[in-house]
Amino acid sequence: MDSLTQKIRETASNILKEGKVEMVIGFAKGTIPMTTKPYMARTPEQTENFIWDKNCTLNLANYITGRKEKIGIIAKGCDSRNIVNHIVENKISRDQLYIIGVPCSGMADKNNPDELRDNCATCTHKNPVIFDVMVAEPVEEQKLDDPFADVKAIEAMDKDAKWSYFEGLLQNCIRCYACRNACPLCYCPTCFVDESGPQWVGKGQNKTDIQTFHFLRAFHCAGRCTDCGACEAACPMDIHVRAFTRKLNKDSLELFGWEAGLDITKRPPLDTFNPDDPNDFIK
Amino acid sequence: MANLFEHIGVEKERLQFSWISSAEAGKFTNVATEVANTIEALGPIDKFVKKTD
Amino acid sequence: MAEDKKTKVVSFLCNWCSYGAADLAGVSRMQYPENIRVIRIPCTGRVTPKFILSAFREGADGVWVSG
Repeated sequence: MDSLTQKIRETASNILKEGKVEMVIGFAKGTIPMTTKPYMARTPEQTENFIWDKNCTLNLANYITGRKEKIGIIAKGCDSRNIVNHIVENKISRDQLYIIGVPCSGMADKNNPDELRDNCATCTHKNPVIFDVMVAEPVEEQKLDDPFADVKAIEAMDKDAKWSYFEGLLQNCIRCYACRNACPLCYCPTCFVDESGPQWVGKGQNKTDIQTFHFLRAFHCAGRCTDCGACEAACPMDIHVRAFTRKLNKDSLELFGWEAGLDITKRPPLDTFNPDDPNDFIK
Repeated sequence: MANLFEHIGVEKERLQFSWISSAEAGKFTNVATEVANTIEALGPIDKFVKKTD
Repeated sequence: MAEDKKTKVVSFLCNWCSYGAADLAGVSRMQYPENIRVIRIPCTGRVTPKFILSAFREGADGVWVSG
């Protein structure tokens, strides 16, 4: 057992014993090899099930939405940014949380376990941005010359090539909504795809409906997405759904100088009005 | 949103925004003509339309 | 009216701004293209991407949001 897992179990069991929190959210071993599942420990004994390895790909911030009790949560860099998002969006208060920060060196690609997954390879926030305790020394952050090379490659295509690229991307989608359910940003009580009056999106496998779903799902994440990759980790058809959100991340960085979930005192750009906001698109 | 439209290959000119006060009938007709001509120049849309077949 | 123009532009016009302007344009007998199809809404702030995509999905060639 490695030292991180050991340290996580110790810390979690201590805060439960001390009564600081009522439960701790972390990862436990999944039912098949090379997987993990989210796990909630309510007693110090249960913390023995926590593990930490290269397959902790889900985003645990997903499980704190609207909770009332005091929660301990294990957070890698991207989880912590989504926790910040949750606090900023008033889904949980900072006092309710005891954040156990874990410096993350990247998670493995689910199809290619020896390599880092895409979003971890371009990650620039490996260390938690908000935490109460860290279980290890921070890891070194990487500096990227061109974090959005993949987006630029798509931008360089002409419009028909782009369209067929996205058409090909989505042709395998089975509308399971795993990407939505895994996403810590998607916490609406009723998702627009489930609304029936008015019905915004058809329920079937119609190509346009699938495109509409993915387009709107991505747009709802504009200025909020932390590129944690939970959507892709959850997708059973291995669709590169981050192709949409990456573009929006690039735009919010270029237009508003904004990266989501770094500061609990700042409102996101699409949430505020500033006279300097870019408005070239308005006639 | 227009930027994401363009990103997936729909002409972003198909989505237009403007600010017109209720006293600006002249501006309204100008912008309306401009918008209509832009879209006319792009021709009918073949993407994002739900085909019922 | 003859269907000489094939494109349709769905226009979301704010009741208090552009719809007023469209009304004034009508009263003043100004001409504007007939492929502008107006939907009056109480406020442009309520327009969401869902509205816009629905318009495209139902066959609009363009969408114009004006406040």
